[in-house]
Amino acid sequence: MSRLGTNYLETEVLIIGSGAGGSVTAASLAAAGRDVTVLEEGPWIEADAMEPFSLEEMVAKYRHTGLAAALGSPGIVYAEGRCVGGSTEINSGLYHRLPASLTDEWRTDYEIDEFTPEILDRYAQRVEDSLTVSKVPGPPPPSSAVLERGAAKLGWRAVEFSRVFRYEPGGRAVKQTMSRTFLPRALDAGARLIPDCRVTRLVRRGDRITEVRCSRRDSSGAIEALTVRPEHVFVCGGSIQTPALLQQSGIRTHIGGGLKLHPTVKIAARFTESLDHRDVPMHRVTEFAPNLTIGGSASRRGHVALALADSGADYRDALDDWDRVAVYYAAIRSEGSGRVIALPGLAAPLVTYRLTDGDMSRLARGLVYLGEVLLAAGATELYPSVVRGAVVRSPDELVQWWDAVSRSRANVMSVHLTSTVRIGENRARAGADSFGRVWGLSNLRINDASLLPDAPGVNPQGAIMAIATRNCDQFLATT
Amino acid sequence: MLPFERQVVTALARDVDEHQRPRVVAYVDAALRSMPEYLRAGVAAESIVLGTWPRLQRAVGRLDDDGLVTWLDRLEASRIDPVRQYVRLLSSLVLFAREELATEAAP
Repeated sequence: MSRLGTNYLETEVLIIGSGAGGSVTAASLAAAGRDVTVLEEGPWIEADAMEPFSLEEMVAKYRHTGLAAALGSPGIVYAEGRCVGGSTEINSGLYHRLPASLTDEWRTDYEIDEFTPEILDRYAQRVEDSLTVSKVPGPPPPSSAVLERGAAKLGWRAVEFSRVFRYEPGGRAVKQTMSRTFLPRALDAGARLIPDCRVTRLVRRGDRITEVRCSRRDSSGAIEALTVRPEHVFVCGGSIQTPALLQQSGIRTHIGGGLKLHPTVKIAARFTESLDHRDVPMHRVTEFAPNLTIGGSASRRGHVALALADSGADYRDALDDWDRVAVYYAAIRSEGSGRVIALPGLAAPLVTYRLTDGDMSRLARGLVYLGEVLLAAGATELYPSVVRGAVVRSPDELVQWWDAVSRSRANVMSVHLTSTVRIGENRARAGADSFGRVWGLSNLRINDASLLPDAPGVNPQGAIMAIATRNCDQFLATT
Repeated sequence: MLPFERQVVTALARDVDEHQRPRVVAYVDAALRSMPEYLRAGVAAESIVLGTWPRLQRAVGRLDDDGLVTWLDRLEASRIDPVRQYVRLLSSLVLFAREELATEAAP
């Protein structure tokens, strides 16, 4: 049983972070009768309290209100969730299984035990059975149909991807975030959740973590220290916060290097017809996947304005007509990589990312291909996320963008961050063993996006949840 | 938010409805405060350096909000990445907040 003192707590399993990895871990272990405590740095926010992708949501649920960037040439803006449920509360909810070809490649390169497509598919099925994974009932919304229509005209493949959404009888779509699904199940099974609690250090004695030091904000806003004495620790803070916490705690071997993400460029596309703006398109052009994927982004008025302004062209007329404008993206799998470095005395780690010349070339190609699809779908004006990038109105003008996507002019962003504590028995490359246990520490495990050896080219939430479930089974069988 | 940053944000938001303008400024303030410390330090350093000339001009009454925005437009076309990104950061924050609040205010 957990025991909670004024400023200390004992628990069998401590889970740090409540996103896709942490919530799955909490639900699996609590259901098996383990004594589980979840610490979450961010606040608990009621599921329907805010409109998705709104200003209010960015302030309340995003780390750094969305203003984080990996330093490099160019810098890359990225977003992370910082609330109960983590990034599952702020993402688009697209769901993918890990492609079999990547599973095979990673198993071989990193010598990962029990990591075959069949095994991961079995765990993915378990996740899907307990999390509603569905497609839109009826025809797709106009902003999504645009991608299907453009791809069909070019003879390219496009598919509607499944999402973690449940559709209520009245047609309302409800995203199945962790705060709506796995976390309530964990709490029903007896887990304890402490929001507004930041972990500052793991204290190591020999090959064990013996204490976890935290600062907790109470209901009056006052900060107090909390010390947790766990038997086992799962760190599930995501690919930036997890390696930063380990480094701050003196655990550094193969921790924080190898950061991967999906570099993304965008276009604000103007059409002659009105588009929907409350949802994210669920179609993706997969003709060039997994190395290049074309899709749609959040397109509230604020996002449309930002995307229109990226090129520096006069966009006032298009913004006045914003009901007919939506934002689309091209995302690549990157050859480059980055690093997370905890800085003494600072809460936020330094994040860097180096795009290769090949990455820049792929981004240029992605932007041009995205332009082709949108023009084929009937777009009349394209505003690229490139400084001084020409506004394009016909396919023959797209050629201008090939040279425009340069390090000094491209505005690049990303949302999928992975691979800072990779798994595998290859100790020369991996920070944790095949099931996420950190090398050299018997009771410290990682169970989040950090474990993926590379960025998968698709939304990684499904892969994270399947691998986390697998790792929990191994923990329960051996501990 | 540093005094020069407040001047820039206020100038960029000069055409925002006066009831919404404090919310735009408050949003930018909150966003800057929540940035990673090392990024915030860089922005603050730029504010101090870039703010010197406008501060002098304002002191002698030669620079109003329109003039400040014109000067920022010139900086946004700079060939120096950090200078261009500084202006882009503040103008993007103002733009996002202004348009989102406009949506909120719409019937």
